[in-house]
Amino acid sequence: MAPNIEQSPYFLARQNLGHVVVRDPPKFDLESYISNYEGRTRLDRLFLIGSTSTYLAVDALRMGVAEAKRGKDTDYYMKIVETLHEVLPDDPMGIPDLGWVDQTNRWVKQENDRLEHELKAYKNNLIKESIRMGNEDMGNFFYSIGNLSEAFKSYFRMREHCTSAKHLSGMTLRLVFISIAQRIWMGAQSHIVKVEAHSLKGEEKARLDPIVSACSGLAHMGLNAYRDAANAFLQTSPTYLTVEPATGIKFQKEVLTGNDVAVYGGLCALASMDRKELQEHVLANNNFRNFLELEPHIRRAISLFCSSKYSACLEVLEAYRTDYLLDVYLAPCLREIYAKIRSKAIVQYFIPFSCVTLDEMAKKFQMTGEGISIEDELIFMINSGILDAKIDLVERLLISPPINPRHAVHTAALTMAENYNHTLRLRLTRLNMLNAGLEVRSPKSSNQGDGQVGGESMLGGTLRRIGTGIGITS
Amino acid sequence: MADLLSLLFSFQPDSPDIKSKLDYDRQIRTYIDSVLRIPVPVYLKGADSAQDLLEILNPAVNTIAYCCALLARIQSCGEHPKTPKHIPDTFRPGGPLWRKLVEFLETFDPVQIRYIGQDWRRLLEYTDRVSRIMGSPGMAISAIRSAMLRLDPSTGTFTSNHLLFIRLCMEARSYPAALPILDNYIHSLPSNLPKPLLELEGSVPAADLPNSSEYISTRSGHSDKINLTDIHEYYLLGAMAYLGVAKYKQAQHFLEHILVTPAANIASGLMLEAFRKWILVSCLADGSLPSVPRTANPTAIKQMRAASKAYEALADAFQNMEIPKLRALADVGSHVWADDGNRGLVKELIDHQMRLFVSKLQRTFSAIPITTVAQMLVQPPEVTEKYLNSLISGGYLNASIEHVTSPNELVVLRFYQSISEGPLGKSEKQQHQELVEQTRQTIILADQAKAADYRLSLTKEYLEHLRRQSKKAATNLASGEAMDVSWDENVETEEDMMADLH
Repeated sequence: MAPNIEQSPYFLARQNLGHVVVRDPPKFDLESYISNYEGRTRLDRLFLIGSTSTYLAVDALRMGVAEAKRGKDTDYYMKIVETLHEVLPDDPMGIPDLGWVDQTNRWVKQENDRLEHELKAYKNNLIKESIRMGNEDMGNFFYSIGNLSEAFKSYFRMREHCTSAKHLSGMTLRLVFISIAQRIWMGAQSHIVKVEAHSLKGEEKARLDPIVSACSGLAHMGLNAYRDAANAFLQTSPTYLTVEPATGIKFQKEVLTGNDVAVYGGLCALASMDRKELQEHVLANNNFRNFLELEPHIRRAISLFCSSKYSACLEVLEAYRTDYLLDVYLAPCLREIYAKIRSKAIVQYFIPFSCVTLDEMAKKFQMTGEGISIEDELIFMINSGILDAKIDLVERLLISPPINPRHAVHTAALTMAENYNHTLRLRLTRLNMLNAGLEVRSPKSSNQGDGQVGGESMLGGTLRRIGTGIGITS
Repeated sequence: MADLLSLLFSFQPDSPDIKSKLDYDRQIRTYIDSVLRIPVPVYLKGADSAQDLLEILNPAVNTIAYCCALLARIQSCGEHPKTPKHIPDTFRPGGPLWRKLVEFLETFDPVQIRYIGQDWRRLLEYTDRVSRIMGSPGMAISAIRSAMLRLDPSTGTFTSNHLLFIRLCMEARSYPAALPILDNYIHSLPSNLPKPLLELEGSVPAADLPNSSEYISTRSGHSDKINLTDIHEYYLLGAMAYLGVAKYKQAQHFLEHILVTPAANIASGLMLEAFRKWILVSCLADGSLPSVPRTANPTAIKQMRAASKAYEALADAFQNMEIPKLRALADVGSHVWADDGNRGLVKELIDHQMRLFVSKLQRTFSAIPITTVAQMLVQPPEVTEKYLNSLISGGYLNASIEHVTSPNELVVLRFYQSISEGPLGKSEKQQHQELVEQTRQTIILADQAKAADYRLSLTKEYLEHLRRQSKKAATNLASGEAMDVSWDENVETEEDMMADLH
């Protein structure tokens, strides 16, 4: 572990661009963490960790290079090798194995030609099942070389050759899988809805449902719809942990693990539900309990929140911030989720008080490393209407404003009456004009000079007259 | 001369002969007929002497005769002077006849004047003309205003005099003088009820009519013919007068009256002008852009909106508190604002943004050191304190400035927490009064709305509609019967068929 990784030009450049750079060591062990996953997501995860965490960069990138070399995706291989070279210029693995790249590229070309040839033959024979399988093979091949958009197209071409509901749901599930890999959340969501719409029966349904709800939660989270995401994750049945691969994809290995479901579901619920809902839907939820057992600290955070120990809850979450920043799906929205939980905690904390000193607030809630003062945070919350309070900057107090419902109702009545009167007057004016037959018409019908101007020339004249003749506003 | 005087004095409004309003009506009509028949030279006899009719007659009692005498004098020296030298000294402001004219306009009998609308208007217009030609429009304002208020205390029936008046006020730049008329909203236009209908109702102009539009009609002569441009101009100038006294809400309301004009999917130049001002004024009044009144013609609004993109951009920047952007926009578009006569408003918008920013602070803070505010406004603290003081005394902020000595010396801006405290706060009693006043206004307004509805129900179009409705109902009834008949016939033929089979 070279000590100067943190100062390497690569991370400095990233920081200047405003990307996240994580300096603290995470709680997990890279080896055992990555062994939970299979397939392409390993590459994605290793690359994210390698390009974000200064602590694990070298290890993760080295593993990534080895991992990529086992696959067929030469572009990804080059990308990881390059990154490793930038992070640690004198690392022997940072020099690309061009021979292997060449060889693999050749193989890819041959394989592509072979598959296309086969598909053409199937098409000539007009056997639906063979065409479907040919397209599936093409899709799998494109996926393995990292050409996700071509893979998506190939899978999509299976559609007209599907003959059974099982084929159809299998194909849609593949589309979901590819959409998630491409991070196209909207697309993933719409395909998930289609899987649900195929309404499979019995065993098949029991097999697919957990996958569908977990993926749907992930898609909602990707779209920042935390409440929907929480609901979807909370519905996920514990069979997700043991479910057999659907259409050859092990979702709990290749997309998100049971631990991920627990973390995502727990955080989304914390960010979007109030205390009562958390108690009812999360802690007392038998299905979700199985997941929470995998991540006991999430469970602890939620129970702390429910028992109003907000600072303890935030402390637990803060402790895991580094880990979550290194998660492929959580990293982009973690900041927002944490901010939501935090502001909810502040609002809940303030409810029973009429007045709290800012220093007390700072002590309870000041542990983010983000460096905003508690005042600024509170000002922002008040301005955006999240918190109903006022700040006394002189005595350094947060004050709950006095309410005077009688006065408020009177004021509201007065405003309403005024608006009503004004509206009525407007209607009256209009009615009178209609009654007198006054109407703005196009200039053609009113060029006798009765002043109903519509033409450009008259318009200019009017403006000049008002602008210069009276000249009050200029 | 004696004959003349006896004729002129022959009508006394409070004479015991008059027992009812109908009597009054009959007598005054015959009286007016005979008075109008007197030739002009007769009035001029003994002018400027002790025998001067204007000295003998009392304008508050012999209103009609006095009015005719004044008009005769005006006619004798030219009713339509073109230059100051055409106006004799006596009629110039300050001259004896001018004083007579003003005295008459301030003291005439409002009921008698209902019968001689045309002559009354001639006096009013002459006053206006003279003051204008003499280059002192301000001289006529109060006379015309009291004449209008005497005739119609609500001044809610729109007449050409309204326009005359507001033009005078604008030219003299005496905006507060216009407010007594502007604050009385327009509830009617001069009615044009057919004569037979009026006779049928038996109401005479002399009766105690609650709605002024019943004696100010298209035929009574109190107003010149009114067209849409007149109304638009009145509202536009009125809005500008309100702007002159910084009453933004009222100005906004006035402009909305123009926006709701019935339109055949087209907007006029004045409407466009009003729309542009409306965008700016709404920002000043509400701090944001409200929705266009519902009854406005959507196509017309769309056209105006397309032609007012620059103004909407300003409003956007204002709403989002983007101070530098607003300034830049105001600079870039300076020729646009100047061309449309809105430069002053745009400048006001920029000034107002800072005010709005400070007043928004009270939503967030209950007390804040001046130094902090100064940092936010990028100004030295002394300037900020002065500025805040001006805002508080100007009624923009419900707050006070305190000097705290312990622990450190500090100047603090403290906002009043409760809405019932502070200089801008309202006590419950005040609020109650306001509610009562509002209720009263609403009741009056409801009556006026009913009156307008009544007038509408007497229009030809509505009657035509009713006639068609009833006709339709009649034909429906008739066709129903026809169907019954045909069905009966069918039954009969069926029976016939059966008969044949047998």
